[in-house]
Amino acid sequence: MTGFRPDATELGDARRRVEALVAELPARPGDESFDEPWELRAFAMAVAAYHNGQYEWSEFQLSLIESIRRWEAEGGDAESAPWSYYEHWLTALETVLAGNGVLSDALLDDRTREILATPRAKNHHEPHYEPVAIDPAR
Amino acid sequence: MSSTPIQPPSIRTQEEIAARVKALEAIMIEKGIMTTEAVDRLTEIYEKEVGPQLGAAVVAKAWTDPEFKERLLSDGTGTCRELGIGGLQGEDMVVVENTETVHNVIVCTLCSCYPWPVLGLPPNWYKGPEYRARIVREPRKVLRDDFGLDLPDSVEVRVWDSSSEMRYWVLPRRPEGTDGMSERALAGIVTRDSMIGSGVGPAA
Repeated sequence: MTGFRPDATELGDARRRVEALVAELPARPGDESFDEPWELRAFAMAVAAYHNGQYEWSEFQLSLIESIRRWEAEGGDAESAPWSYYEHWLTALETVLAGNGVLSDALLDDRTREILATPRAKNHHEPHYEPVAIDPAR
Repeated sequence: MSSTPIQPPSIRTQEEIAARVKALEAIMIEKGIMTTEAVDRLTEIYEKEVGPQLGAAVVAKAWTDPEFKERLLSDGTGTCRELGIGGLQGEDMVVVENTETVHNVIVCTLCSCYPWPVLGLPPNWYKGPEYRARIVREPRKVLRDDFGLDLPDSVEVRVWDSSSEMRYWVLPRRPEGTDGMSERALAGIVTRDSMIGSGVGPAA
């Protein structure tokens, strides 16, 4: 459970490997950052599954291109399907994993519904003004 | 199985998509396709770019400018904004100060509320059920056993629960022997964990 702390070299190597992979992909217009935390997570998962040997990077790449192409072919209508690079990314990841038989849409739908159905604590949207726990000085 | 495309992107809320990504990660971990550590490692690469160096700059300024520090402790959000730091998930930030007798540590007992603008995205252990439960139940033990932070008995440990409305982060104590250091040099030694409270000053 202790935090994962790669040393600087390991981090640098990992960054270069990821950048080499990403350099070949259709670029995300505008800035390079992530708008939502799930985007970063989805990004990392695709790279991790590739490192695990689940697919060739070119398969993922084609799948991503195909998803974006389909969106464009449908008119790229901002009202019916707003542009989201990482939604295409996620679709591509799901598609290649389903293609390998490791994922089914139904299973993923079920799990997603379970997560969405988990209730949030009642007081979570209120500020908590006092420490939630104190271990006093002795 | 053919590689028929999964449903194309349609209008989904951010919450729905986030849940889908979470579900996908859970399935992939169960199937042994990836480990949480592998995903963490990759996210950390990006975290380094948008992350805790911003909080470190705020801390270094507070260490060298007493008036700034006073403002920071009374109005975390407004004072960070002076440095152009703020944004999503940082709307209401409260900075709690470590002293000789008090050590603060943050958690989100329910999910993973975290002051993004100053610390970046949270590490996975921060979001995990184990840390979220144990840091409340036995903070001193968790800090010692899991983070190697052995606090003297004379120090009170305060655990702060961030919610979506109010996010805490820690102003660590300035390490001994840093009197001659510039604000910029000081910023370089402030660690992310010291601002979570799971660590202290420079990793030494």
